[in-house]
Amino acid sequence: MLPLYLLTSAKTKQILIELKNGETLNGDLVNCDSWMNLTLKNVIQTSADGEKFVKLPEIYIRGNHIKYLRLPEEIMDYAKEQNILNMEQRNKFQKRRGGNNNYNNYNNNNNNNRRGGNRNGGNNYNNSGRRFNNNNSNNSNYNQNQNSNQNQNQGHNQQQPQQAQS
Amino acid sequence: MSASPIQAQASQQQPQSQGQSPRDASAPNVEDLYLESYAFTTAAAIVGSVDRKIFVLLRDGRNIFGILRTFDQFANLVLQDTIERIYLDTDRDDQDTSEAEEKTPKRFGEAYRGIFMVRGENVVMLGELDIDREDDHLTELQQIPFEEAEKELKKVHANTIKNEKVKGKKLLAKGLINDFVKSDLY
Repeated sequence: MLPLYLLTSAKTKQILIELKNGETLNGDLVNCDSWMNLTLKNVIQTSADGEKFVKLPEIYIRGNHIKYLRLPEEIMDYAKEQNILNMEQRNKFQKRRGGNNNYNNYNNNNNNNRRGGNRNGGNNYNNSGRRFNNNNSNNSNYNQNQNSNQNQNQGHNQQQPQQAQS
Repeated sequence: MSASPIQAQASQQQPQSQGQSPRDASAPNVEDLYLESYAFTTAAAIVGSVDRKIFVLLRDGRNIFGILRTFDQFANLVLQDTIERIYLDTDRDDQDTSEAEEKTPKRFGEAYRGIFMVRGENVVMLGELDIDREDDHLTELQQIPFEEAEKELKKVHANTIKNEKVKGKKLLAKGLINDFVKSDLY
């Protein structure tokens, strides 16, 4: 996990920024980009000598002026959780897309159908896709292909030990 | 499977180990070997220090101690359980202090900083710490509150800035330029 990725997951959290000139800014992170430019809300700005305090409703910081940031303790765990959630979301999206593709494939012609059926993970998606398919002949075709695939698989499994014996 | 060439390399380096077990305890760490064979000169060189305790010196003179969690190509660093420590050695500001003060022992102050993200351009240097020995040098030092140390450090910094200004003027009189910036206090 890169530092900037960690920073993006700190959005809405309260952070402290020290600029190169020694000023510190304490506020809620609204947004950040890949240059570490930041926007903050409800900011308290402290001068470099630590004697003047200014309250600001919002502020934009150009990234190159930042010296360091202090993030809340829980940010590591929070970032990990977010990462996992994102991964799950992405996987879901990919699965759904994969299912649609197969559905299109075996509507087009038999060749594609066979290829889609051969992919092991694809079987499930094809089943979900079949609900939208009104063409019965295609359906039966698909089933046949699936059966033949299973047969092929079984044959393959049987062949393996034979090879090992010889 | 992919580790086998590295293991082969390890056995070449230590031929005296008979190589009966695939992972000999005396054989060097696979990670270390990787770094030895591919010498990074960029920020990637600190990949071996991830999840280890490191020390970072910032351009403003701050000493940061913490566990390196992540970094990127700019050497932006994320440290966890960070401690900032100020060292006050008497010989640094002896030009200004009286002799009585000079006899006081070297002091330090430290403060907990939690999760600390440093922008790479402010890093002067960093290095791994030996966690068994990192506190040894502190036994010779006297601990003072961090706020107190901060005040002292401010004085020291003001002093160095003053000295550098004088130095700059003297050098300029001889036609030389003193390369000093106020923000560089390391």
